[in-house]
Amino acid sequence: MQRGLQATPPVGIIFDCDLGNDIDDALALALLYGLDGKMECRVVATTISKPNLNAAALSEVIGRFYAGTVSAAFNAGGRTLPVGLATEGKQREDTPMLTAPLARRTADAKPVYNHGIEKITDTADPINVLRNALSAQHPKNAVLVLAGPASNVVELLRYPASLQLIPEKSRLLVIAAGKYPDGKAEPGIQSDIEAARRVFAEWPTPIVAVGSEVGEAIAFPAASIEADFAWSEAHPVVDAYRAFKPMPYDATTAPMAAVLYAVRSNAGLFSLSEPGTITVLDDGRTKFTPSPTGNHRYLIVDPSQISKIQESYVQLASAKPVPRAPRRRLVVEENPRDLPPAPPAAKPSSGPAQPR
Amino acid sequence: MMITRRSLARRTFLRGLGTTIALPFLDAMVPAFASSGLPGKKPVRMAFVYVPNGIMMDGWNPDYEGKLGELPRILKPLEAHKQDITLIGNLTHNTGRALLDGAGDHGRCSGSYLTGIQVKKTLVDIKAGVSCDQLVANEVGKATRFPSLEVGLEDARQAGDCDSGYSCAYTNNLAWRSETQPLPPILDPRALFERLFGDGTVLSPEARVAQAAERRSILDFVMGDTQKLKSDLGPTDRRKLDEYLSSVREIERQIEKASSDNAQIDPKMDKPYGVPADFAEHFRLMTDMVTVAFQADLTRVLTFLVTREGSSRAYRELGIPDGHHPLTHHQGKPELMEKVRRINEYHAAQFSGWLTKLKSIKEGDSSLLDNCMIMYGAGLSDGNRHTHEDLPTLLAGSGGNHFKTGRRIVCRRETPMCNLFMTMMDRMGVKTEHFGDGTRPLEGLDLS
Repeated sequence: MQRGLQATPPVGIIFDCDLGNDIDDALALALLYGLDGKMECRVVATTISKPNLNAAALSEVIGRFYAGTVSAAFNAGGRTLPVGLATEGKQREDTPMLTAPLARRTADAKPVYNHGIEKITDTADPINVLRNALSAQHPKNAVLVLAGPASNVVELLRYPASLQLIPEKSRLLVIAAGKYPDGKAEPGIQSDIEAARRVFAEWPTPIVAVGSEVGEAIAFPAASIEADFAWSEAHPVVDAYRAFKPMPYDATTAPMAAVLYAVRSNAGLFSLSEPGTITVLDDGRTKFTPSPTGNHRYLIVDPSQISKIQESYVQLASAKPVPRAPRRRLVVEENPRDLPPAPPAAKPSSGPAQPR
Repeated sequence: MMITRRSLARRTFLRGLGTTIALPFLDAMVPAFASSGLPGKKPVRMAFVYVPNGIMMDGWNPDYEGKLGELPRILKPLEAHKQDITLIGNLTHNTGRALLDGAGDHGRCSGSYLTGIQVKKTLVDIKAGVSCDQLVANEVGKATRFPSLEVGLEDARQAGDCDSGYSCAYTNNLAWRSETQPLPPILDPRALFERLFGDGTVLSPEARVAQAAERRSILDFVMGDTQKLKSDLGPTDRRKLDEYLSSVREIERQIEKASSDNAQIDPKMDKPYGVPADFAEHFRLMTDMVTVAFQADLTRVLTFLVTREGSSRAYRELGIPDGHHPLTHHQGKPELMEKVRRINEYHAAQFSGWLTKLKSIKEGDSSLLDNCMIMYGAGLSDGNRHTHEDLPTLLAGSGGNHFKTGRRIVCRRETPMCNLFMTMMDRMGVKTEHFGDGTRPLEGLDLS
């Protein structure tokens, strides 16, 4: 008997965010799918910590826009990746950046962006999505990116099997929340202080934190929204961007920095702090204490790299998706006849729209 | 208060030469003045019925949730039992997925089905986990003659490669006593009959033939006990006992007929002794015996592997000469998809027949079916693409008036199938914080 021989694919990214509370998460998703499109990573799961159905719907819209309907993680045969959605938590309310893209209609009153999320059963419990996505990854070939409250991610720590699974399958947790080495409290932490505290204290892999100071130092330029995304008449990230705040405005980018670091850790785009331990104080502030044995570091902006990073943000996030055949498992088997047939070629059902 | 009437022991047997027949629930087994008390409480029975190669989901999933209305095509045969079933959507078995183990979805999905474990891809040193039915059998099985029964209709090979490097032990068993010890299903009705009503004596084939040649019924051997018992019973119980023994006799007669038919068709045919050539008859005979086993409280736990995962059985009785498994890789061809739907319907019709039988048997104010929870389903949903989410899952019976039936429940995507198993185990009195990848008992099934 011969086991399947499989090449290690690009790193699998699991992205958890509170989409809808700030435009930075939508930009990070765009960046992530841009990197996925260049085969630098695979988006293997998205989970949403904002308990709002439209947040899950917009996440799926963005996923379909960039990646089509083919599931890379589960070989799900045409079904979209399940979106994990929290049902408990703060900031449940709709926001314009969620509702505007979803409400957009064509001339004949049809939704411009299709998605499959109409009710809660169209989403998944985040714990199941996170665990199942991890279980499908090669050893140490996954990175979790957390942007916002740690409410979903902390659930993984409840299960003994997860505590084995996390270090076996993932090599890093990148958290876009807090301020480093210290500073005022940040909403991503304050929304669920206890969850953040537990994750920093108990997470079984190294953690790299991306503070708000990083996102403020490397802004995403409003001008790019007007120019670089113009190839599509309808772009969900652009619609969300316009709805979030009156244009023009530059956006902060801590989640984008977290994604870029997660995928291009060795590219020298950012500096890292010395090792240490991050603790979460009672008022939600984060505090970094240097320690040679610490498992935490935080990202430091290298001023000389800012323009290069901004250029990467723009190029990757605004890249035109190229429909491609779904990835097949690279398998050498004794009995290839029993491989399931390939799903039909990827065809984004909701876009991109025709270029102008 | 004086008890003026002694009750009949629940474990009363009719015994005779090489024969032990357990009794169904009789009124006489309920202590006087205890009509609603614990001693009269009927046990809940748990069963798993597995059909292979996925199901054509376009004919399975209704386009609505809540109260069952018009049933989709494949479930039409269950129309008479609409109020007795619960359809559960979106259950997932993540451990059936490849998870880096490559091809072999059939072997994987059946091996992991009741164990909730990613089984080891191997032909030799098999490794799965204790299945949920056996966790229950370990507890409630102490109260019954058989902790569990395992039956099937097709293939009991325990070695060899049944799917891309997965041992046949994974495809041909549902129940696992330990992580390395599967419990093979009984395929031969005669063997099951002897297990249920024999006294443990293993007859040689020659002795079996000689006994059959005498054409004596096992009821003949217990005649003395039967007459004696009847004299102590009231008219209702006498009628119940007569009906019960008649059903045992009918099963026996059918097995004899199958043996006789087999011998006439081809004395050298490679079929176990007493296996009917007709699939539906085989199904009915096995479920008739399971019904008796449930009725007489011989066991409360059953796994029924209708046919094995990857089965290439041809359903010539439906005019389908193609193998089931190859058909499921229909690649979207309508004529092949239609054949798969017809096989799916056919399986559902056999299952429906069993439910009818269970419902016809009264247990106090309810039916035997009411006191069952029988899961019918498959380890794949789309057999063409080998998908492991939204698995076709149906729960029949209310588990002793515990589950609200006649509904379709749709769970959130990726909900572990093991959550349903945790619910069923809990109903059987086995509480566990984790099973497989289960996170919590399934919500929304209970009456309250």
